[in-house]
Amino acid sequence: MGPCWKVRVRELLALLTALAVVLIGQAGTVGAQAGKPILIGASISMTGTYAKLGNYTRDGYLLCAKEVNDQGGLLGRKIEFVIYDDRSDPPTAIKLYEKLITEDKVELVMGPYSSPITNAASTVSEKHRKIMVASLAATTSIWERGYKYLFMTISPAEVYMEGLIELAAERGLKTVAIINEDTLFSKAAAKGAADLARKKGMRVVLHEAYPKGTTDFSALLIKMKALNPDVIVAGSYFDDAVATTRQMKELDVNPKMFGVTVGGDVPDFGKQLGKTAEYVYGSTQWADNIPYPGAKEFVQNYKKMFNREFSYHAPAAYGACQVFAEAIRRANSLDPDKIREQLLRLKMTTAFGDYQVDARGFQIAHKMVLLQWQEGKRVTVWPPQLSDGKSIYPTPPWNQRR
Amino acid sequence: MKPLTWGIGLLVLAALAIMPFFVTSYIVSFTIQTFMWVALAGSWNLISGFTGYVSFGHVAFFGTGAYTGALLISKAGWPWLPAGLAGSVTAAALALLIGYPCLRLKGPYFAIAMLGLNEVVRALISYFEDFTGGGSGISLPPILSIEPVYYAMGLSAVSVTLLTYVIITSQFGLRLLSIREDEIAAEAMGINTARLKLYAFLLSAVFPGIVGGFYAWYASHIEPLGTFPLLTTITMIIMCLFGGKGTVWGPVLGAVLLSVFQELVWARFLFVHQALFGALIVAVVLLLPKGILGVLQERYRLPRAI
Repeated sequence: MGPCWKVRVRELLALLTALAVVLIGQAGTVGAQAGKPILIGASISMTGTYAKLGNYTRDGYLLCAKEVNDQGGLLGRKIEFVIYDDRSDPPTAIKLYEKLITEDKVELVMGPYSSPITNAASTVSEKHRKIMVASLAATTSIWERGYKYLFMTISPAEVYMEGLIELAAERGLKTVAIINEDTLFSKAAAKGAADLARKKGMRVVLHEAYPKGTTDFSALLIKMKALNPDVIVAGSYFDDAVATTRQMKELDVNPKMFGVTVGGDVPDFGKQLGKTAEYVYGSTQWADNIPYPGAKEFVQNYKKMFNREFSYHAPAAYGACQVFAEAIRRANSLDPDKIREQLLRLKMTTAFGDYQVDARGFQIAHKMVLLQWQEGKRVTVWPPQLSDGKSIYPTPPWNQRR
Repeated sequence: MKPLTWGIGLLVLAALAIMPFFVTSYIVSFTIQTFMWVALAGSWNLISGFTGYVSFGHVAFFGTGAYTGALLISKAGWPWLPAGLAGSVTAAALALLIGYPCLRLKGPYFAIAMLGLNEVVRALISYFEDFTGGGSGISLPPILSIEPVYYAMGLSAVSVTLLTYVIITSQFGLRLLSIREDEIAAEAMGINTARLKLYAFLLSAVFPGIVGGFYAWYASHIEPLGTFPLLTTITMIIMCLFGGKGTVWGPVLGAVLLSVFQELVWARFLFVHQALFGALIVAVVLLLPKGILGVLQERYRLPRAI
């Protein structure tokens, strides 16, 4: 190794030293926040796969904290969120909840974004006897583990397609074909749809899974075309929902109704597909035109505070935080067993909708809504009491559209 | 090794052994994950650092171990410790199955075959849904105390490091290094390279299988996408290269330094930590291709078995 090596190594060392100095400088600022406010800990996916939706979740928490504080706080104290980034990675979330509970000494915790991360993180909160209000976990199996301090606030995956199946059964449709991405949530959603369809006397003529990341659905769609089902359900996320819809048009697959679990509810679905999105049904946990109390104010305040569009994840996190706050007010204590008692008993409606859980902490009151793309707009068509329009039925074949 | 080195080593081990009684469970949790990385980087070192055959699919052994452990716990009702250890058996079996034909491949073909292996195992696990839960994965009972996992992971990390020391000071190790330097020359000298490579490969699969099994218990839920990420393989490679491949302490140093680095950087510089980590990787490859220990060895004439 020549002399140039010495210089390079030295440069690297200098760089690392500089970095270390910055790090140590930063270290002093964290942890200085002990004292009056009630600290609420949460890990959120601010980077990685779930970053976009994770950030809406964080927004919901922050907006809730601001409003609770504007109304005088909880038990006479302000509340303050301590939020870390879990990089969309379950083991990191485990580490972070340990950190929040044992080092930052937060008195309360709230859930992270997504089912897999909630699944992992809740093992920590349960061990430390901390209540976790899981604002964005929709997978039933998480509540089948017998945890005492874990509460669900959104509708479970299994009922995502309840509206579509209801409407199909009302119209006397007989056959349904189901495809889904082979991941925790999509699988549960598809299985739920299949069970509901059978209960309504419909026949499931196809039920197949495709791996995450699939972009070509033609083999599945050709199979479905041959079976010619009345209803097609796709247990999807955004990218696959768009691809499936587009390829249905290309292959001229014509069910009387077509619905997607996730993806159909975001504005980008209509933007990317244009007229192809017409008549497609999508399901969502929340829509801004449902007249829940406080929903209008939520939309206004969100825009004021963050100045951007959002998806249902923001009101879901906001609503969960409101539920938690209400239970604490009623318990008049931060004792986990007293709060638990209130959370089990509580029935309330927030800007996100209804809250009520069974003895497992599993959500039973919140309603999914079904929407349909009509003239480039998302129209809520089910359930009737929350609807602002009627579904257009049947979906016309591709060759008869304008 | 000199008595002094042994003394320091034992002191560090003793400190680590009593550490969980004095620190928060966050530190314990962090150390568990660091131990895991030490064991993984050290295992990768056994095949790739010694023989030069780059394995791009080492996470396959980790994932296989994780699924073995999780299935034995959830379906057969095994306690977590034997279930985790059993991960070594399936991982080694898989290594035998793939290593026997593939280690005859020279050059980049082995790396490509290993990359494929990982995808195949993941696809198989997703496919046999009734048995493995498919894309939903497997949920395990909640873990009530992480200290036992701390010791299990810690012992795995220590074992890998000891094993590396034993190998590097043996004839077996010398032969492996000769394969890395010049495989044809090694063969000409009468070394059965295919068999030695297979032995090294089997040894390098055992510990990822074990820590995979322990990981399943620690994380309490595993599913194919999160258990077989390519990123895990890349991280073990980077850690090993950073510390110094083909050395005893290189993977340990790399795993510990990079774990601490990530922990500090990601907590403070949320949106630039990935860029910083990437910059560090580039810096290592460009400035320290032989790793920290490799450079130190060259400059200070340190013993080979460091």
